[in-house]
Amino acid sequence: MNPVFRAAAESIPNGWILGVMTVLFLTTFVAWTVWAWLPNNRARLEAAARLPLDEGDAL
Amino acid sequence: MEQNSARPYDDDIARKFVAATVLWGVVGMLVGVIIALQLAWWPANLGLPWTTFGRLRPLHTNAVIFAFSANAVFAGIYYSLQRLLRTRMFNDTLSRFHFWGWQSIIVLAAVTLPLGLTSGKEYAELIWPVDLLIAVVWVAFAVNFFGTIAIRKVRHLYVAIWFYMSMVITITVLHVTNSLAVPVSFTKAYSIYPGITDGLVQWWYGHNAVGFLLTTPFLGMMYYFLPKAAERPVYSYRLSVIHFWALVFLYIWAGPHHLLYSALPDWAQTLGMVFSIILIAPSWGGMLNGLLTLRGAWDRLRTDAILKFFVVGITFYGMSTFEGPMMSIRAVNALSHYTDWTIGHVHSGALGWVGMVTFGMLYWMVPRLWDRPLYSPNAMITHFWLATIGIVLYVVAMWTAGITQGLMWRAIDESTGLLQYPNFMETVLRLMPFYWIRLLGGTMYLTGAVMMGWNFIKTANSPALVPATRS
Repeated sequence: MNPVFRAAAESIPNGWILGVMTVLFLTTFVAWTVWAWLPNNRARLEAAARLPLDEGDAL
Repeated sequence: MEQNSARPYDDDIARKFVAATVLWGVVGMLVGVIIALQLAWWPANLGLPWTTFGRLRPLHTNAVIFAFSANAVFAGIYYSLQRLLRTRMFNDTLSRFHFWGWQSIIVLAAVTLPLGLTSGKEYAELIWPVDLLIAVVWVAFAVNFFGTIAIRKVRHLYVAIWFYMSMVITITVLHVTNSLAVPVSFTKAYSIYPGITDGLVQWWYGHNAVGFLLTTPFLGMMYYFLPKAAERPVYSYRLSVIHFWALVFLYIWAGPHHLLYSALPDWAQTLGMVFSIILIAPSWGGMLNGLLTLRGAWDRLRTDAILKFFVVGITFYGMSTFEGPMMSIRAVNALSHYTDWTIGHVHSGALGWVGMVTFGMLYWMVPRLWDRPLYSPNAMITHFWLATIGIVLYVVAMWTAGITQGLMWRAIDESTGLLQYPNFMETVLRLMPFYWIRLLGGTMYLTGAVMMGWNFIKTANSPALVPATRS
């Protein structure tokens, strides 16, 4: 087989893997962002943001 | 320690790391100024092998990265981790072992590098016995760090701790993987990786040493100390969560941009370039999150020198994290690589981001750790201006020198098709004025750091606050 064609053929499985990885990572990122902005998490995360400021009580 | 004995935290270890940060910071910057002088005025090499640029340059980089910056990170972590988790460190003996072990490594570096004992890998020059010691000390720190998390009294891990955690884990993997070597004598070992694989591993390490020692822990410190100094929570905690995961995921892939136009396969170079460009998004997300924390409090910048340090530091973070991705683009890299532009870029990050955030954090911590007001607020403001003007002089000189250098190297005489400047010395001589300006900027920055050290010594020796006057 022509070396160029062979290289192209061999890259298909890798291309598949890279495509799946890209979709997986992108989905994870979008899901993580949605989680962070879910209205249900708002109060909890805003309370967490105050952790450095509230610690004075423990001193 | 007698001071703060009523407090449940181990502040003595934070004080030790603060002192080490200032001491090694001055030493590392002094060596930087000396080698800047050597580039402008060659007799400063002194004609001795131990004092030549080739040996002092790695001493400078190791001192400012692993002595100044790393000690600052440890000081910030020991101070903030205990408070964020509302618990004392897991094991005080491990903390002391970490401190003295790390200082021993620094001393060994200060001895071996001028003697010319080196592995030859940039930012990983230390010889294999010292590499082993680093691994042992780092693992002791990791055990103490995760042990403290295990015994915490607060369920939520504040975002700063996630940034610290990424450093503890990633530096372990980077250091061990890049240091794997076959020793042939007590001072000499050969890397186990062949050819370009060795180059790729080295720059995967080198780039992520910047990412996970000089970026993520400092972002963690920004997320802790900036809200403390500004007396308001971070602008968007939700953004900080996305900032963390996006940054750590993307950073680890960007190393190949150090090997553009090398024997590294093209696809790997492109991978490094693409990930570097995507990195702008989380980097700027973090920068904006830091700056917007001051919304509604910008007027305090007029009077609060600590906030000035943080704001300039975060601004330089934004500048250097824009510049870095630009330099990773092949066409730009063709001009910038091997020139002083790279030195300018590195110092905009090192002096601007790492240095200024460290100074802001130290000025905030020292009065609290020693229970005394800062001896001279005026000296702190003078330090701020010396450092800021010093950075600008340094960075602008290097940008100009680098672009001059790059353009001269690739200039072609169209009539002959030959290089327009075939004599390398011609380009070097053209850069001399910029090297003197760099020396001036670096000297100003060092002077500010010395003033800070003096201010802290005077603070520590001044009378303590009586409890009633404590804020």
